[in-house]
Amino acid sequence: MSIRPSFRFAGVIVSLVVVAAFWLIWRSTAPPANPTARATPVRGGQLTAGIRSDPKSFNSLVAADEPSVIVSSLLQARLVRINRATFELEPWLADTWEMTPDGRKYTLHLRPNVTWSDGAPLTSADVLFTFRAVRDKRVESALADSLVVAGQPIEATAPDDHTVVVTFPAASGPGLRLLDTLPILPKHKLEGALSNGTFRTAWQTTTAPADVVGAGPFVLKSYETGQRVVLSRNERYWRKAADGTKLPFIDQLILEIVPEQTAGMLRLESGNLDMLQSELRPDDVPSALNAEKKGHLKVIELGVGTDADAFWFCLKPEARKNDRRFAFVQRREFRQALSYAVDREEFARVVFFDAAVPIWGPVTPGNKTWFTPNLKRYGPDLDKARAVLRDIGLEDRNGNGVVEAADGTEARFTVMTQKGIAAYERGTTLLKERAAMIGVALNIAPLEAGAMIERLKTSDYEAIYMRPLMTDLDPAGNMDMWLSSGGAHFWNLEQTTPATDWEKRIDDIMMRQAATVDLARRRELFNEAQEILAENLPVLYFAAPRLYYAHSTRVTGVVPSVLRPPVLWNADSLGVTAPPRAN
Amino acid sequence: MVRFLARRLFFCAVLVVMTASSALLLTRVAPGDLTLSLGPFATAREIAAERSRFALDRPIAVQWGEWAGSAMRFDFGESSLYRVPVGPLVFQAAAHTAVLAIGALLVATVAGVGLGIVTGSQRGALPGLIRMASIGAISLPSLLTSLVLLFIAARTGWFPTGGISSVDASNHWTDLAGHLPLPILALALPVAATFERLQSAALAEQLHQPFVMAAAARGVSKRRLVLRHAWPVSVKAITAVYGLAAGSLLSGSFAVEIVTAWPGLGRLTYDALYARDIYLVAGCVAVGAAVLSAGMLLGDVLLALSDPRVPDVR
Amino acid sequence: MRWGGLTLLVLLAVSVMAAPLLAPNAPEQRFGDLLYAPPTPVHLWNDGITAPFIYPLRLVSRIERRFEEDRQHPAPLVWFSNGRLVSGGEAPLLLLGADSYGRDMLARVLYGGRISLTLALVSAGCAVLAGALLGGIAGYAGGWLDGVISRSTEFLLVLPAMYVVLMLRAVLPLALSGGTVFALLTAIFATLGWPIVARGTRAIVIGERQREYVEAARAVGVSPARLLLRHLLPAASGYLATQLTLLLPAFILAEATLSYIGFGFPPETATWGTMLKDAANVLLVADVPWLLAPAVAIFLSVLAVNLLVQATGRPPVQLEG
Repeated sequence: MSIRPSFRFAGVIVSLVVVAAFWLIWRSTAPPANPTARATPVRGGQLTAGIRSDPKSFNSLVAADEPSVIVSSLLQARLVRINRATFELEPWLADTWEMTPDGRKYTLHLRPNVTWSDGAPLTSADVLFTFRAVRDKRVESALADSLVVAGQPIEATAPDDHTVVVTFPAASGPGLRLLDTLPILPKHKLEGALSNGTFRTAWQTTTAPADVVGAGPFVLKSYETGQRVVLSRNERYWRKAADGTKLPFIDQLILEIVPEQTAGMLRLESGNLDMLQSELRPDDVPSALNAEKKGHLKVIELGVGTDADAFWFCLKPEARKNDRRFAFVQRREFRQALSYAVDREEFARVVFFDAAVPIWGPVTPGNKTWFTPNLKRYGPDLDKARAVLRDIGLEDRNGNGVVEAADGTEARFTVMTQKGIAAYERGTTLLKERAAMIGVALNIAPLEAGAMIERLKTSDYEAIYMRPLMTDLDPAGNMDMWLSSGGAHFWNLEQTTPATDWEKRIDDIMMRQAATVDLARRRELFNEAQEILAENLPVLYFAAPRLYYAHSTRVTGVVPSVLRPPVLWNADSLGVTAPPRAN
Repeated sequence: MVRFLARRLFFCAVLVVMTASSALLLTRVAPGDLTLSLGPFATAREIAAERSRFALDRPIAVQWGEWAGSAMRFDFGESSLYRVPVGPLVFQAAAHTAVLAIGALLVATVAGVGLGIVTGSQRGALPGLIRMASIGAISLPSLLTSLVLLFIAARTGWFPTGGISSVDASNHWTDLAGHLPLPILALALPVAATFERLQSAALAEQLHQPFVMAAAARGVSKRRLVLRHAWPVSVKAITAVYGLAAGSLLSGSFAVEIVTAWPGLGRLTYDALYARDIYLVAGCVAVGAAVLSAGMLLGDVLLALSDPRVPDVR
Repeated sequence: MRWGGLTLLVLLAVSVMAAPLLAPNAPEQRFGDLLYAPPTPVHLWNDGITAPFIYPLRLVSRIERRFEEDRQHPAPLVWFSNGRLVSGGEAPLLLLGADSYGRDMLARVLYGGRISLTLALVSAGCAVLAGALLGGIAGYAGGWLDGVISRSTEFLLVLPAMYVVLMLRAVLPLALSGGTVFALLTAIFATLGWPIVARGTRAIVIGERQREYVEAARAVGVSPARLLLRHLLPAASGYLATQLTLLLPAFILAEATLSYIGFGFPPETATWGTMLKDAANVLLVADVPWLLAPAVAIFLSVLAVNLLVQATGRPPVQLEG
């Protein structure tokens, strides 16, 4: 059966057409952009932001995942707010306040005439109710620990409907800043649930939208599992713009659930989304800049990130009992040698494509209030590194390229890291290369996140490379990392007594700074703690990435922040200029 | 036939229970548990509270017993990821996936079998090109093909770039129809390519059989030879895997669903595994096992019906 | 066409086996300033120089990924040095560009092929063999043997493989050697692959079993084994051949999926699957298309095997014209 010539011809034509179509689409650009936005936002319009997963609850007292916290910050209001760009404390539901000289008592005056989204008046009774809910044992709130000073909870009393007196059990450095994470919840909607112990499930995601009442800029309109959370303007929102316009500017805010990062970027570029949940991946920055040139996006630099990738050895003596290598691992010189070996400029170049700054401690330049540039800097100096190793008895005696101790124990380690994060993969490759240059052999084992975290928690690992997230910019909020007894003291979790002399010194300093009210004095103390850490190097830091963010050109009123969410933290002041571009 | 069906259905049920139970067991035994979502530095108190909420502090056998008991009453526990009951969550996701699966199966069958007939019975440029396209489709990971399709949708604006619905859709059905092509195409491509390859090989083989040659000698036209004589026998190769293909489409493709933001079973299963959400894992795996075994059973039934030579009672 | 397939396969096999000779650079070697560098253009003549040469690529902008040729320093290609067929001499010769670490894509594709291709061919081969035998036995023998084998295939197909592999990874030591990983992956793939092969083979054998020649052969006293191997299984050869070509890319890509949950080769080791997963950023690939080189390699391998083992669509002579 031979093909009739016409079929064969048709086949060729079809193939050419298909190839041409693919080539055209490949080389195409996104549809034309919107006209540039005007400076002052006007009322009206719809904004679509991408989030990566479903919120677990509409009550952030019981759910601490990022989407839940974002939704809660849009639906609820707090007493005071830390401005995410300036890090200043701003009045919010509390209009003014006075502090006693010893810093232990604050009298807050609530803004008058504030109502809940359902019309009920907001009073100090709601504030007291919220404090009670946080402390309630049955609620098991994750926020409970953040409202505790020196082991005792913060107390609140209300002399009248619009005044709240907050009493700290001891002098507290951060003071009122601790209240930034606490959303004030409506007593009239949730009191019943608190009394009969169902508070945890009171506002789960199946709750009817009308029942989720708040004093935030938006109210819940609908939620479809796996798809989106739709919020509409809270007409009773108390806040106004500088010129007196009632906020928020936008009519509707849609949080679209887009789990995959690349798909999110594609939708951002095509106009389907106006912004994403978090900063751009370093690999996506060039195409975002391209899109900006064509007028589809605006790319902004948020600043230097406040968290950086870290590398550390398990320093828990109980876990490393039978490990002969521990004899030299627990010596600070060993870690210092590795720090000398790494070229941090190269690190910034290779791991973050030049968009990073070298750092030598956990606090990055992005944390403007607490950063100090005066930490001990190491290297890059390979000779010094080798000399330091020799000083503690590590030399390559048998010529195999790996140094060993006098008893023959080689400096060979397995470093676990989380699979799937490009920056970790690049970082560990670079670290392995540099370590090999001084005779330390590192074997990288990427693991699935769950397996890695499990080993971390049980101290069942030799070394690890990952980014530990700081809970708070204020060191008083990170005590669980700095204190040797802390649950986030990652290189040696939850010690009963400090394992080393320098950890004891840090413990003392940190306790003092948390109880000091004077900011200048606190910074002095914290600098000392940072210097001790940089000297003893239980954990090595290399570079902090500069964060970039992209949003569509129709969004106005953007105030960027290095903290998440970079733009939505200020959602009530965002505006849009034109209708959404695409499907 | 009835006894055969009854026996097989019983085995399907056993398989579903076994698989769901092993998934429950494996999630218990795997490193880490659902407290992972609290982060690496959660307090012991938080962790203990969460674990007891999901019966992780009780022995495996006890937890399994409780789960099996409530499963009889159609209570499949609560999901730690979503904080809602597992049953309705899984059911809704399975329904979303089913919509895609049926569409993809139709497209894949028509395209795969149709193109397979073309390439299996002819020589030339067109069959060669189709063969290349099939091999291309099975050589690329579905993550990449989905992203490429999304790229095309985003750049051309022809289709919505993801999700199952748009926010302000006036007509629910036309809106859904607009959102379907992207994920269906992404799902159907590798399956169509598989069908095409199988059909092509089987048809080519049948065309060499004596009975076909005999028919040709009798003067039967080429078209009839291919479609009426050779093809019906060759389709058995596809029938053998059809049920499995249907079943695996119905249990969802994680890559396609995550890229097109389709709230389906594939994505749910993967998220559940990643988060060690124990009851959700059991639920998803149970549904996955159910559709897969049902698919295989259907395939076997089709096979028995299609080929009169096969004795079906086993 | 068959010869075409064989030639292509031999070419591929020889290329990957001769990787140390053919690759201009070592696969782990990083060129720090050449991240995502485009393929180096080879020039043939310039004034005075008649041999092929290249210009070194200089980085213009890291964030924009722009490079330009340094026309001041032409570097003639160096042949047969350091055990390599050709290399750039003073300037790195990146015939297929560089990846996100600045490593030579061509070298990584060649070296990666050794693992990916071998692993996939061996596991697919094992899966097809095991599946053919077990499926054939099930189809021929019938009865309880068929029941056991068929139910096992259903169990294995329904089992959530990811969960099992995840758990398996947890009980294994943290650092696994390349050889161990290879053996384990082969075992896992063969176990996951044979049920599909067996089910199809069984269906075909059941059909064939009813034919007259089988009855005749049984009457004469031909042993079941001979019957199976000489007559029944060859009837399924088309199906088996197709399954081989379907399993091959599936296993190459599955290696990347398993590597994603931690069950893979050490991270610097190049394999086609993981290289493709790293390229799974379409926006990036639109600007840096040479990252898709492993996809082309996989395509060519599958095409070669397909051409080799599968009868073409060429109908018998009598049907022509």
